Parts: sequence; C-alpha cells; structure tokens
Amino acid sequence: MEQGKALYGIRALDLTGPSGVYCTKLLADLGADVIKVEPPEGDPMRYIGPFYHDDVHPEKSLYFWHFNTSKRSITLNLETGEGRELFKKLVEDTDIIVETFSPGYLDLLELSYTRLKKINPKLILVSITGFGQIGPYKDFKASDLIGLATSGILYTLGFPEDPPTSLGASQAYHMVSANAAIGALMALLCRDEIGEGQWVDVPMQGTNIRMSEMVPFTFWISGKNRKRSGLEFYRARRDIFECKDGRVVCSALGGGGAEKMLEWMESEGMAADLRGETYAPIIALLMGASPYGKGSQGKINMAEAGKQLRDYPDELDHIEEVWKAFLMTHNMEELFVGAQTRGVRLMPVNNVKNVVEDIGLKERGYFVDVEHPELKDTLRYPGPPYRLSETPWKISRRAPLVGEHNTEIYEKELGFSKEKLARLRAEKVI
Amino acid sequence: MQESTFKKKMPLEGIRVADFCWVQAGPWVGRYFANYGAEVIRIESARKVDWARNVPGGPETVNGKIQRGALFINFNCDKLGITLNLLHPKGVETAKKLVSVSDVVIDNFIAGYMDRVGLGYAELVKIKPDIIMLEMPVFGNSGPHSAFAGYGTGIQSAIGLNSISGMPNRRPGLNIALPDMGPNPTHATMALLAALHYRKRTGRGQYIELAQFESSLGWMETTILDYTVNKRIRKPQGNRLPFAAPHGVYKCQGEDRWCAIAIFTEPEWNAFGEAIGNPQWTKEERFANLSSRKENEDELDKLVEAWTANKSPWDVMKLLQARGVAAGVVETGEDLVLRDEQYKAREYYLELDHPDGRAYCENTIIGFSETPCVVRRPAPVMGQDNEFVFKKILGLSEEEVVHGYVDGAFE
Repeated sequence: MEQGKALYGIRALDLTGPSGVYCTKLLADLGADVIKVEPPEGDPMRYIGPFYHDDVHPEKSLYFWHFNTSKRSITLNLETGEGRELFKKLVEDTDIIVETFSPGYLDLLELSYTRLKKINPKLILVSITGFGQIGPYKDFKASDLIGLATSGILYTLGFPEDPPTSLGASQAYHMVSANAAIGALMALLCRDEIGEGQWVDVPMQGTNIRMSEMVPFTFWISGKNRKRSGLEFYRARRDIFECKDGRVVCSALGGGGAEKMLEWMESEGMAADLRGETYAPIIALLMGASPYGKGSQGKINMAEAGKQLRDYPDELDHIEEVWKAFLMTHNMEELFVGAQTRGVRLMPVNNVKNVVEDIGLKERGYFVDVEHPELKDTLRYPGPPYRLSETPWKISRRAPLVGEHNTEIYEKELGFSKEKLARLRAEKVI
Repeated sequence: MQESTFKKKMPLEGIRVADFCWVQAGPWVGRYFANYGAEVIRIESARKVDWARNVPGGPETVNGKIQRGALFINFNCDKLGITLNLLHPKGVETAKKLVSVSDVVIDNFIAGYMDRVGLGYAELVKIKPDIIMLEMPVFGNSGPHSAFAGYGTGIQSAIGLNSISGMPNRRPGLNIALPDMGPNPTHATMALLAALHYRKRTGRGQYIELAQFESSLGWMETTILDYTVNKRIRKPQGNRLPFAAPHGVYKCQGEDRWCAIAIFTEPEWNAFGEAIGNPQWTKEERFANLSSRKENEDELDKLVEAWTANKSPWDVMKLLQARGVAAGVVETGEDLVLRDEQYKAREYYLELDHPDGRAYCENTIIGFSETPCVVRRPAPVMGQDNEFVFKKILGLSEEEVVHGYVDGAFE
C-alpha cells in the first residue's frame, strides 16, 4: 500500500556484488521496488555461505537471503547485444541503478551513464567501488579487508603482539553500502529541483576513513601513528572483564560511577579496603578519567592540577583486583542491570546466542519471521534498524529465486510475448 | 560569486534541521545534512558541554593546530551553532520556535529526555504537523532496558561484534567505537532522507525511533541467520574468510608494516602467481584450487609472507594491483596523510581555518556529478550563530534576545 512505504513507486535496478548488496537491501526494506539483475546462471553471491542446514546449494545461501530480502529477481545477460537492449528498455522506467563494477566496465558494455541518461534523463546511477571513479588508485581491486586496510582502521585493530586483525561481518562493505544508500536518496530528493538525475560516486576507502576516526587526525596533530592496543583506550582503564558466565565491558569500578558501584560492592562485602582514605583520591581520578563519566567534567581538574592515574600503578592494580573479584560473583545480566540502574554504562560482551535470547529484543519484537514456502519453513531474520511511525521498515518477501520474476516483469510489465520470452531464454539472453 | 550564478544546488538545499545531538553518533547525522546543503542548526548548552569539545579548558591549540576540541570541529562542520538552556522555559519556547520553522529534528539523548523537557514528538507535532523527528535511544523507547544507555564501545560488545572479531582463541578486544561511526549515523541519515522523500510525496511527517543496539545489529551480516537456522555460534576468524585464500595481512619490510591481500577466484590466484614471478610452489597440487588452498592455508600464508617480507607494503600493493589482484597497504595515519596518493587526490581531509587555529576535518566523500559538495566552513564556536539564528531565522527582537541572555535561557 502506497501510504505505508517510504520509497513506494521508486524502482531500482540492483547490479551489485558483496560491496553494494546491503545498499539495495536498505532501499528494498523501505519499500522501493528493487529488481536484482542476475546473470542467467545466477548471482555468484548465491554460492557464498553459510547455507541452510549447511546444504551447499545456490537456492540455499543464507548470505544471499540475508542481503536480498524484499527484492525481485530477473535474469539478464548484459554481455549480449540483445541483453543490453533489454536492459535499456528497463532503464526507461527506472529511478536508481546501483552497481559495483570496476570503473569503466559499464562503458565497455556501452551502458555508460552518459548513454543511459539519454534514455532516461531522470536516472540516478550509484557506483560503488573500492577507490572511486577518479584518482590514481581508481582501477585498484578491493575487498572488505582491503577497504579496512587502506582506510587506516585495520592497523589499529587487535593486540600489539598480533598482526593487524580484521573485524567480523564485512564492516567495510556495510559502510560503503550505507553511504551509497544515502547518496541515492540525496540524488532522489533533489532530482525534481535540478530537473535531472545524476551519477553518484561512492568509494569504499573514502567512506571507511570515517570508521578509522582518529587515525589520520592523530598523525596530523602529533606526528604519531595510532597503534594497536587491544582494548585499553581513551583515558580510563576501560577494558573487557571476566564475570561469572562471560565478559562485560566497562571502565574499572564503572569509571564515573565508581562511588555508586562501590556502595553496591560494599553491600555485598566485596569492596575490600577501597572505601578507605588511601584510595579516595585515586578513585576520584578514576571517576574523572572515565571517557564520558559524570566525573569527567568536574573531577578532571584534579588530574590536571597534580597527579595522574599513571602515578599510582600499584594502587590501580589493587583496585582492579578487587573489581575483578566482584565481577566474578555475578553473571552478565546481573551486572548489566545492576550497573545500568546505578547509571554506569556497563555492557555485556554478547555472542549471537545471547543476542537472539535478549529479553529486550524479544519484548520489542525485533526479530522477524520470514516465510520460505519452497522449504515449508519460516526463518528468523534480524529486524528493523529503524522504526518509522508512518512507513515502517518491512521485509516484504524472502529473497527471490533465480529469475523468479522473469515472467512477471518481462511479460506483464514490459509486455513481451511468451514466444519472445521463450526465444530469449533459449538464446541464454535471460 | 553571486548566488544566482550557481546552476545547480547542493542536494539538500532548502531543508532545515534542528540538531539537538551531542557526542558522536548523533552529530554525524546532522553533519551529513549540513555537508550536502541543508541548513543545520546545532543546539548546545554551556550548562552541559558536549564531551567532544573536551572541557574544561576549551579548545587547546599547539603550533597553530587545534588539539583539544578537534573532535567537535570534525563532527559539526558546516553547521550553525546556538546555545539554549532546555531547562529554562524560555529556552524550550525558543527551541519550539526553531522547530516550527524546521523540517527535521534530531536528538540522541537518553530515552524520554525530550518529552521531559517538553520537546517530545507529541508536543512538536502540534507546532509543526509535518515535522520529521528522529531519536536514538540506545535500547529504544520501550522494553525492559529502555532506561539504560551506552556508547559505541559498549554497543559493539552487546551486538556481538567483539565475539566474531580478532584472532581465534584470543581475548576479545576492539579499541574502536564502530556503531558511532558506522551503522548508527548512516542508518539515521538514510531513514530521515526516506522520510523526507515520503513527506514530499504525501505531505506527511513522522517519528523515527532508532534504537542504536538494534540498528547496529543490522551490520552483523549472517551471524544471526547462521544461529537461528543452523544453531551455529560464530567465532573470530582472524583475517581469514571461508571462501578466499590467500586472504590476510602479510608482514612487509619495515617495523610493524603489513599489506593485505585478498584472493577469491582462480583467475586472481593465477594473476597472483604471475605477479610474484611464478615460483614453483604456486603450481603445486596443494594450492591448485580454493579448497586445497584452504586446507593448506597455514603453509600458503608462510610462502606468501616469504615473498612480501623483503618488500615495502607499497611495492607489494602496486605489484599485485598491476596484475589485478586485490591488495592494500595496512595504512597508518602517516600513510594516509603523507603517502596515499588517492587520499590526497580525492581530498579526503581538509585543513580549515577556525577562530581557534587550524583544524583538520574530514571532507565530504559521496561524489555527485551535478550537485558536488565540499566542506565549506568549520564547526561553530559555542553560541557563534546565536544572533543570526535568534534574530534572522526566529525573528526575535533585540530586547527579547537580551532578556534571553539575562534570564539564562540562552546559555
């Protein structure tokens, strides 16, 4: 229904690989009509695992399913002349194309933006690449790992004694994809005012520099390179600590909330000697040193006026020992709730099982069940990244089968005859 | 240059945003809008100063370069800055005036804060019926954890990113705050743009709730499906991928220098062999296809590293890229600022003049062929645009402005 979809009536052609497939998922789950254009043998992403019950099969890739919800699929061989003519026909009625080919590939196919725009002046072309459409590295090949490496983030990840160590779950691809979706919608928003579509250039390296945050900046101000440090960062002794059934992340003693945490610890006989006078000034420093703690504004003066945390190495070790002993008497959930209700922003270090069983997500109905009729099964997917009151995010259908919508699109929407469709199929154009 | 000589606008020209955000994840949403042409008014208060300004002491400049407070300058370039005390009735009244002439309102306070000060959506929609409001409560406005809060480092632990990152069998550790830079500001911007598109078509505004925990979970790829479908709890894989080999970072010449290499297909593997001079080992049976390379990956990685070890990471990248093999220097800050030719050519960072000294600021990244944008001005010093916003945009009289200051409503 038109009223319920933010991007109702917007048609996007999806020519993306792994670096851009999340962009078109974002558009599709907000109601755009996203048509995946697959080669006749199927999208190579259908062979990326994991697979449904570990059965390696192009129609059972969880990877493909996750990233292609709410989309339709047609098959089309862009490397044949007739395939390209067909593609141009689709372009006449398309708002956005998202592609991840190497720079220049569309031009080789005689489908450059200049040519496509002649067919449809309102067309928006979003090009996702490793390094962008211009510049000395534009033809360099990239992947998620290369994106993290060349944006400065990878060098800082991991422990000093290990090589730089990547993040899980292709964060570089997500970053460039999300920025591509932003670019697509910005071009869409101004399209009427400027009277035409435009070409949107979205490089992975450039967008990922945002995730590296302080890396170029630190060098610029200090001439020093930010190094790998495990988790010791910012000013407090913020770290990942063991507890009864797992781990939690927070500053030692809860940083800015140390007094509240000490009250809790004392009530359970776990504060040891930390409430005595010896530790008062150090705990005050710890509270001030917490990166965002309540103490950070009032108490930092003490740190600046005189001593700093590093002047008390032995005392800090002792504080940490007492803190660690306390944490070992509770599980993650108790610590999370106990600390948070005291204003301390402690968080559990979850694995996926903890996440799926999280009571908050359950009560908010985060996970969504998506039907896969061919399997006679319903699978639980991650839910909305945002909740729009008028136009809710929604998985409108499971990812399409290869060419599932060929008939619907070629026959019903483009008006091809059954005979023509059969011929195109036989000639492997679709 | 006269305004009329501009043929094209910036993509978001004509949109006004009231930006009540602070720290990082929130201000970056307003930054997207500001960088690409919207008029973004950042509301601050001297009574509770944004952490990113790093008080007390205010901005600190060394050798002309701003050091302390530089994060704020990066997060808030191209915005106008005003100060309002939202605990003062006149401060709230002024904020409402601003909302009445705005298209978008954003904040990242703890759940319920805007309602408590009288600026909740239910109130704002009375003043501006088609307003679009986005809030970013960490665990959402409802549910057992709605009163809780957190920062990027904690959120990435809670979504399980630590549990799938790093070397296998090591303590989980990530010294970044990825949700603040990745999923949350981008998702928020995306949702707002979609809502603006919808409003343009239907005239209707709406309320958007972005629970940062849920939003960040959106970037966990198949971790969740692999568990709900296959009951698999994914573990860290270091730099390896199940469907690529060689795939990792390899030691190069120099202290702590590395180059990343990623090979997915057989043509790429063959090109890699050619690039390194087709040594005998690349032809061996044990590396003949992906599954055999995966089986013998430890030995493979050693051989690759024996080749990279006596070359600079830049030479490794260029030799391999010349043959179409994906390779990238594991770049340091120094590499980006001084050596990376792409970074320089694309001007990914800019030096800007700021009233407190020189500032280093991320540039716009998304390239638009018809409406190109660059960062135009540095972030405001606190309250820099009070006069302009109060008088020119909100139409307050000189007397009203003076009273605002005297009453403490504008601090």
